[in-house]
Amino acid sequence: MAHRDPRRLSRRQFALLGTQVAGAAVTVLLGIPIVGFILSPLFRGQQAVWREVGDIGGVPDRQPTKFEVSFPLGEWTSANVKLAVYVVKINTDYRIFSNVCTHMECPVRWEDSLRQFLCPCHGGLYDMNGNNVGGPPPKPLPQYVHRIEGTTLFVQNRFTESV
Amino acid sequence: MGRIAAAYNWFDERTAIRSLIRKGLYEAVPVRGAWFYTLGSATLVLILLQLITGIFLTLLYVPSVTEAWASLHYLTQHDAFGAIVRGIHLWSAYILLFVIGLHMIRTFFSGSYKRPRELNWVTGVGLFVLVLAMAITGAFLPWDQAAYWTAVVVTNIAVYTPFIGSFLRALWRGADTVGPTTLSRTFGIHVWLIPAILFPLIGAHLALLRKHGEFGSYVNYRGAYRSREGVDVPPAPKQRPIEPPYPAVPTDELWAAPLETEDFYPHQTFKDGVVSAGLVILVFILAVAIGAPLEAVADPATTSYTPVPEWFFLPLDELLLLVPQQLIPLVLVLPTGGVLLLLALPFIDRDPERNPFERPAVMVPGAFAVLFVVILTLLGSGRLFNL
Repeated sequence: MAHRDPRRLSRRQFALLGTQVAGAAVTVLLGIPIVGFILSPLFRGQQAVWREVGDIGGVPDRQPTKFEVSFPLGEWTSANVKLAVYVVKINTDYRIFSNVCTHMECPVRWEDSLRQFLCPCHGGLYDMNGNNVGGPPPKPLPQYVHRIEGTTLFVQNRFTESV
Repeated sequence: MGRIAAAYNWFDERTAIRSLIRKGLYEAVPVRGAWFYTLGSATLVLILLQLITGIFLTLLYVPSVTEAWASLHYLTQHDAFGAIVRGIHLWSAYILLFVIGLHMIRTFFSGSYKRPRELNWVTGVGLFVLVLAMAITGAFLPWDQAAYWTAVVVTNIAVYTPFIGSFLRALWRGADTVGPTTLSRTFGIHVWLIPAILFPLIGAHLALLRKHGEFGSYVNYRGAYRSREGVDVPPAPKQRPIEPPYPAVPTDELWAAPLETEDFYPHQTFKDGVVSAGLVILVFILAVAIGAPLEAVADPATTSYTPVPEWFFLPLDELLLLVPQQLIPLVLVLPTGGVLLLLALPFIDRDPERNPFERPAVMVPGAFAVLFVVILTLLGSGRLFNL
């Protein structure tokens, strides 16, 4: 039997290597765009927009009052989404709360009988200052970035701290 | 030879269809307890019902946040047959979750997951998880209030994953908040991604079943009769009439072959047919009589709507309520740990004993786990529906 030079590829080894290289090339060429496509929305970030909420001059002292505000629904649609905004006036100070519960993002509501914000899903409670005072919520209610011109409230579609 | 027989022969020569059909129909299955062995075929029938009705629902449904609810509202209001198709899709999903659970409990208590059927069990656990994932993603799609708030809460659970929580949540939502991309992604996951894994896995589950044969339960085997009824060793197992050898790898002579078997067709298919047809009739009645509900369109600005989870989500929802704020990740850890434990079960419990009364170390924790889920469900339904 003739000796084969062990440093040289045999015909079989060459075919095996070629198959593996072809498979790897297809995997990489398909994988990069697909993974990038799935991940790309995460890196685009949300465009900050200001929207007018309305006249808050009539909001009574220490009586959280609900307003609604429209924000763009998404990147490729011209539709809007309406969100709830709670305006809390304490003396001359205004706080603009989102009603998104910090536990599971359920819609928090002001319960006048409790004098607290209540989350209907799992019984989370927040006081008038938005502090989580009962139930499972781990953080205070988020507050909108806002500005007040005269008595007109404007909010941005982001919170003062990331939640 | 008649023309039909000749055509059949022509076809058989080119496809070997005759031996395929023979192999499919003439499998030896254990006789005693055979009604319990209908749960697997019932699961398969209900999954096929999902596939068929699901395909037809995509002929009308529009996966867009501005159109999804309206398309189903039209279906419910103006298309009696469409409403029935949607009703069948919903009710067969509900009953499927029940039946696949019973199938799993039956397999667990009969010890059917033991060698050489470990991978039958592992693929089965995979199918159970995928069916649950189908139920959860399907619940997002109507985009009514119930669907929207289910989408919000379910995707938000991901945020409590250690280290990569907000990344995972954004990956599913396609943004920081639930919106149009969430619906597109969840629709794609529901109709393409999960089925593309689910159906090949069903194929593997069935191929393994045919390779090893239906185990049945300890009552089908020699030692069982002896220990239960105190009689002497009964006659040797009947020779299985049809190939392949049963089972491929005998692990323990006692558990190698059931005492008494009969052909899958028509004996087991009769029982399978009765149970499956009964379930399909039940699904049809529920679909016509109750149908699939559609609440008001999703309103993220609501301060009056109380989100109520789907019933199969109640155990997890009750955990969300009970777990204090420092321990919220437990809501992820418990189900994940449960699934991992189920996957590991046949590799932990390797004793060949199949009699559930002789296996208290596995039966008691298993029974407690089932009880735990049932109690959480009862607590959740009591809280939400004032029962």
